[in-house]
Amino acid sequence: MVISVRDLVKDYGDVRAFVLGFNVVKNPVDIRCRIGYVQQQLSLELFMTARENLEVYGLLWGVDRQERRRRADFLAEIFGLRDVMERKALELSLGQRKRLQVAREFMHDMELLFLDEPTVGLDPIVKRTLLDFIREKAKREGLTVFFTTHIMSEAEYLCDRIAIIDKGKILACGTTEELKERFGVETILELVVQEGDGEIVKLLESIHGVKEVTQSTDSKSIRLAVVDPYSKTPEILSLLSKEGYHVMELRVKEPSLEDVFIRAVRRRESRHE
Amino acid sequence: MNRLVRLLIRDLKGSVGLSWHLLASQLVMPIVYIFIMGLTFANIIGGVTIGGARVSYVQYLAIGVVFGQLMLSASYAGAMVFFDKKMGMFEQILAGPFRRWEYFLSKILSVILQGLFGSSVVILIASPLLIGLTPTFKGIIYTLFSLIFASLFFGSLSLLISAYVKTDQTLNIVFNSILPPLTFVSSIFYPIEAMPEPLKYIALINPLTYVADMTRYGLFGITSTTILYAPLLLVTISTITFALAMHAAYKISL
Repeated sequence: MVISVRDLVKDYGDVRAFVLGFNVVKNPVDIRCRIGYVQQQLSLELFMTARENLEVYGLLWGVDRQERRRRADFLAEIFGLRDVMERKALELSLGQRKRLQVAREFMHDMELLFLDEPTVGLDPIVKRTLLDFIREKAKREGLTVFFTTHIMSEAEYLCDRIAIIDKGKILACGTTEELKERFGVETILELVVQEGDGEIVKLLESIHGVKEVTQSTDSKSIRLAVVDPYSKTPEILSLLSKEGYHVMELRVKEPSLEDVFIRAVRRRESRHE
Repeated sequence: MNRLVRLLIRDLKGSVGLSWHLLASQLVMPIVYIFIMGLTFANIIGGVTIGGARVSYVQYLAIGVVFGQLMLSASYAGAMVFFDKKMGMFEQILAGPFRRWEYFLSKILSVILQGLFGSSVVILIASPLLIGLTPTFKGIIYTLFSLIFASLFFGSLSLLISAYVKTDQTLNIVFNSILPPLTFVSSIFYPIEAMPEPLKYIALINPLTYVADMTRYGLFGITSTTILYAPLLLVTISTITFALAMHAAYKISL
């Protein structure tokens, strides 16, 4: 996630990239003063207590003593670290260390926050607390967050805009809906009929808006990729009923960001084959 | 608060936080050298004649041990960078509002302060053996000058090493290969005039010889073959090592 400006200059020569209005080559410190960064790797002062980790980090960022203490107590509460504040980071569990590392970044103010897989090693409750905390920060304080993750549901839960990156290249960028639309990931209807046969597939394929029909080996379970499932469902059910098929179950499976990701990567791979 | 000062406070807090016991344990070796080896050898050697003056061996040794200890504590600068790299704090700090030179300079300042503190403690412990000395103002300046520039040299040397070292094992190998020869081929334990011919010349290019002799000059009034050009040489070699360390610092990739 860290981009070395020196490497940029070395690779591309005259770099005219700007972050928050500052030139990355001429004013790197002005930029870094305004950003927060939680790296994927654990990075803590292992021989300091949890409280010292928070307060010394606040000190590094020039936060005054009273405010450091106030923020440390507040973050300890939010991130469930209150009981371990006087323990050395070395003695904390992996999950507690990760929470401490993420909490530490909020000891200072920032305009941009880079989070590199911050939820790895966290239990679901802490994970949700963290995502909600970040979401609240973004909403209330206008904080812009760059969130890197392999867990698509987290990206979907947290992010307004998502970039799909594969092998260091951005394959697509947009809102969840835009990405789903762009990669043609349709909603899936899953049907279970009492008695199925080969004809039912042909019948369903004849309906306008049904793109792909697959049938299980016992012929009873059928999956349909449908463009506009909510308006098409009555038509599908009516046709099946008319042709004597008794539908026992109907499930609508919304496309996930994971489906989008898989399709985007496969599309790229097929272009390179 | 100045960025450099903030980094310095972090280093000092980290060093103390590492363990008071560890810091205290660093005093064991000087005490053993001065009070066991020094007093025992003083019975055999009697005294050391250097630059026309004669001092007791234990007094001679006490000053040398201060600098042996200073060299060890200054080498901690490199270890601090190495462990920061290992624990992800190097990348974390440099992603913050700091420049590389500020980060590295803070390490040097940190070991200078720790070196001054450690040396003062060793001198204090050895003070019963130094009774009778009446250092002049010039002598004190010489001593401080030696302590500061020795910390700068050894701190920079260790930073230089840490910039290239990738594993704990290599760090240990490098330090263990460099520090003992530096200690023994110098005037820490004995005057270089007493050393065999080839070693004498090697000791003459060892900064440890200069800093120990300058302090002996400052405190005892003893002069030696090196004292005339020692300050200039010390400043030159410390500055060059510091410049090389800073250059290497900018080569470390995140």
